[in-house]
Amino acid sequence: MKQKQPSAVKRILSIRGMGGALTAFAGFIIIYLVFGLINNQVFTGNNIMNLLRSMAKYLIIGIGQSYILITGNIDLSLGSVVGMSAMLSATLMCAGVNPIVAILITLVCCLVIGVINGFLVGKCQLPPFIATLGTMFVARGIAYMVNGNRNTDAISSGIGQEAANVFQNFFYYGKTLGIYNAFWIAIVLFIIFFFLLQKTRTGRHIYAVGSNIEAAKLSGVNVVATITKTYLVSAFCACVVGLILCGQANMGNMEAGNTYEMYAVATGVIGGISPLGGTGLLLGTLAGAAVWQTLENGLNMIGAQVGIQRLVIGIIVVLAVLLDVVVRRGVFKKKAV
Amino acid sequence: MKKEVFRMERVTFKEKGTTPLENFNLIIREGEIMGLVPINHIGLDALLRLLRQNLPLHYGYIYYQGNLVNHWRYSTMKYNRISLIQNESCLAGDLTVADNVFVLRNGFKKWLMRPKVLRQQLEFFTDEIGVEISGDTYVDDLPPFERFVVELLKAVVSGSRLIVLEDIGAFIGNRDLERLHEIFRYYSQKGISFLYIAGHMEDAWKICERVALMANGQIIKYYYSDMMLPRRFHINESEDYERHVLERTRRHKKNQDSFPVFELVNVNTKSIRNMNLALQPGECVVLQAMDSAVFSDMVGMVSEETTPLSGSGYLDGERMTSAIDRRLGVIQEFPIQSMLFSNMSYMDNLCITLDHRFPEVWSKQRVRKSIYEEYSPLLGADCFYSNVNKLTEMQKYDLIYTRILLQNPRAVICIQPFKRAEVGLRLRITEHLERFLDKGIGVLIVAVNLADTLTFADRLICVARGKEPVEYRREEFGTLPIDVPWRHLYREDEEEPETDEE
Repeated sequence: MKQKQPSAVKRILSIRGMGGALTAFAGFIIIYLVFGLINNQVFTGNNIMNLLRSMAKYLIIGIGQSYILITGNIDLSLGSVVGMSAMLSATLMCAGVNPIVAILITLVCCLVIGVINGFLVGKCQLPPFIATLGTMFVARGIAYMVNGNRNTDAISSGIGQEAANVFQNFFYYGKTLGIYNAFWIAIVLFIIFFFLLQKTRTGRHIYAVGSNIEAAKLSGVNVVATITKTYLVSAFCACVVGLILCGQANMGNMEAGNTYEMYAVATGVIGGISPLGGTGLLLGTLAGAAVWQTLENGLNMIGAQVGIQRLVIGIIVVLAVLLDVVVRRGVFKKKAV
Repeated sequence: MKKEVFRMERVTFKEKGTTPLENFNLIIREGEIMGLVPINHIGLDALLRLLRQNLPLHYGYIYYQGNLVNHWRYSTMKYNRISLIQNESCLAGDLTVADNVFVLRNGFKKWLMRPKVLRQQLEFFTDEIGVEISGDTYVDDLPPFERFVVELLKAVVSGSRLIVLEDIGAFIGNRDLERLHEIFRYYSQKGISFLYIAGHMEDAWKICERVALMANGQIIKYYYSDMMLPRRFHINESEDYERHVLERTRRHKKNQDSFPVFELVNVNTKSIRNMNLALQPGECVVLQAMDSAVFSDMVGMVSEETTPLSGSGYLDGERMTSAIDRRLGVIQEFPIQSMLFSNMSYMDNLCITLDHRFPEVWSKQRVRKSIYEEYSPLLGADCFYSNVNKLTEMQKYDLIYTRILLQNPRAVICIQPFKRAEVGLRLRITEHLERFLDKGIGVLIVAVNLADTLTFADRLICVARGKEPVEYRREEFGTLPIDVPWRHLYREDEEEPETDEE
C-alpha cells in the first residue's frame, strides 16, 4: 500500500509549533508596519541595525529558555547567570586575565550552574520553579560577591585599551557585512541550536521528555541527561548574553540581566513555545524576540512612557498565550449540545 | 515443540509485607498468543512489573529467550526487552509516528535525524501489516486504533520477542479489535509471542491458543484451544452475577412511556452520524462504540472536549448548553483516578456535589452529621475517618457512586464502568447502578466492550463510524451478532442455567 506523500510546503506547515511561529512572524510584520506608519524613523537603516543588535540579547536568552520550556520546565536563574557572567568576565579582565581565558572561566562557571539546575530538576526531581529560584539567588549572590559588592571598573583598566576594544567590538560594537556582531552571534547560535533541536536525536529526546516523561523513560531516554543538557544550553546562552552586556558597558554591572528570565519566557511564549512542554520551534523564538524588540523600539520611537511600554508588552504576552489556548483547545468554539 | 520465549519458574514475589505472587509458573512459547484471565487483580500488577524488570524475588527463576535473567539469589534490576501495551499510551504525543517508532527506543544510535529514511522504514512495516499511517503524523492526532498500531510497531521495532497486551478489548472497538487480531496473528507467525490479558474468557478465547486463569497470584487452570470452552465460567461470583441478570430481566419494564430525562437529537460528530436517544427515568441504555473513534467522540462530548457538528441535547426537556450540569451525573473511566480529591477528607469528597441541594452543607455541621448517620452503615463508619488515598479500591468506588447518588441527578452517564475491575468489584458496581435505576435515575453506559454492561441494560445502541446507530431491545440481546459473556442468560427460550460442571 503506497502512501501519497504530502508536498514539502504542506509538510512544513504541518510541523507542530509552526502555526505559532508563523503567527508571531505575522504579528512582528504588522507591529513593525504600524509603528513605521506612525513614525517614519522606524524604517531607517540605522534604526533597523540597532533593532537587530538589541534583539540579539532577547533571541539568545529566548533560545536557552525555549529549550527548557520544551521539556516542560522553567529556568528562573537565567537572568542571574547573565549577571554572573558579566561580572565574572569583567572582574577577571579587570584583574588582567587574558580575555579568552576570562571567557572560558566564565563559561565553565555558568555551565556549573546549568549542571546544578539539571541535577536538582532531573535527578532530585525538585520542582523546576523552586530549584532554579534557589540557583537564581546563588548566581546573583556570586555576581555581587565576585567584585566585593560593587560594579567593576572599565575592563580596559586590566587588559588594556586595545584588547578591550577587540573584546567590545567582537561582542557588541563591531560590524561584519554591515551588521552588528551581536546579531551575528545570535544568528549563529540560533542555527546551531535549531539544528540540534530539529535534526538530532538529542532534540527528539528533548521533545519527548516535554511531551510524555514516563513514555520517554520507558523508551530508554535518559531523562536526567536530557534535562541537564537543556539547562546547559540555557546556562551557555546566559553566559553569552552576559559577555555581550559586558562588551556593551565595557564593565561588569551587578544588576546585569535582571528579570531577563521573564523576558526569555515571554519571547518563547510569544513565538508559540508551549509552557506546558512538548511543543514549539526555535523559529517561533526568533519571531518572539523580533516582536518583543520591535515593540520596545517602536514604543520608544513614538515616545511612549516606560509604564505604557510594559503594559503593552504584558498584554501582548497574555494574548499570545490565549491565542495558543484557543487554537489548541478551541475554547470559544460554538457548542451545539 | 516450539522454543520457549519466557518462563517463570516457582516464582514467589513479596513486597510491602504481602505476597502478590506465590509459586507462580508461566511458560510462553515462541510465536504463541497466550491468554491470561485474572479473576481478581491480586498479583497482576506484580506480574506485569516482573515481566518488564528483573526485581528481587523471594524465590524462583525467570528465563527470557533462553537466558536466566532473574533469580532469587540475585536480581540485576535491569529491564527486559518486553513491551507492555496498556490503555495508557506509552508514546510521546508531540512527536511524529516515525520518531516514536524509531527514535524513542533503546539502541537507537544515530545522532542525525533523516526524516525521509525514517518514513521509508516505517512504510515497510505498515505495508507489511496492511495499515496506512503516515510517518509524519503526530501521535496526538491519531485515532485510538492507529495509536495502538504505532505502539505495536514500536514494540516490534525495538526487538521485543514478547508483547504484553493488557485488556485491550476494553478500549478498542469490536471492528478494530478484529483487525488487530489479524496483525497479532501475522506477528505471531513471525515468531513474536503475545501475552493477551483479558477481563473475560470469551475475549481471550477469540484469539488465544492457550488461556490461563489466574486467581490470588497463581495460575489455577489452563485451557487449550482444542478443549471445549465451558459454557459458563463457574467462578465463585458468577452465580451472583447470573442472579443479577435474571432479576433484572424479570424486573425489566416493557414499553415505558414516561417523559425522557435525557435526550440526544440528531447528534453528529466526525464519526457519529445522526444519533438519537431518549433515556427514560429508571432506564438503562448501553451505547456501544463499535470503533475507537466513535468512543473518543462520545467521551469527548461528555467532557466537552469534542464539539458536535450538529444536534442538540435535552435534559428534563430543557435544551442543554453544557454537559456540566448537576442534573446530569458523570462517572468517568477509572473514576478512582479521576474523580477523587485526594487532599480532601472523605466527607468533603462525599458532599462535593451536594451544595445545590443543601446550600448550607459546608457551613452547618448538622447537615454533614445527618449524612454521616444515614450513610455510615452503608459505607462503613471507619471510612469517614480514613484518608481517601488509603481506602480500598472498593471503598473508593462506593464513595464515588454514593456521591453521585447524593447529587440526585436525573440521569447518569457512566464511561466504561467495568473497565479493569475485578469480578468482585464488577458486582459492587452493578449494585450501585441498580440503586440508581431503582431511584428512577436514567443510566447511560458508554462502552466499547459489552461484557458486564448488558446485565441491566434495557436497550443497546451500537454506534459504528459514519453509520446510523442500530438499536436492540433487551428481548433481542440473546440474538446479538456478537459474542458476549453470559449471553445465554438473555435468551428467553434457553433452559434454566445448569449448575457447576467444573
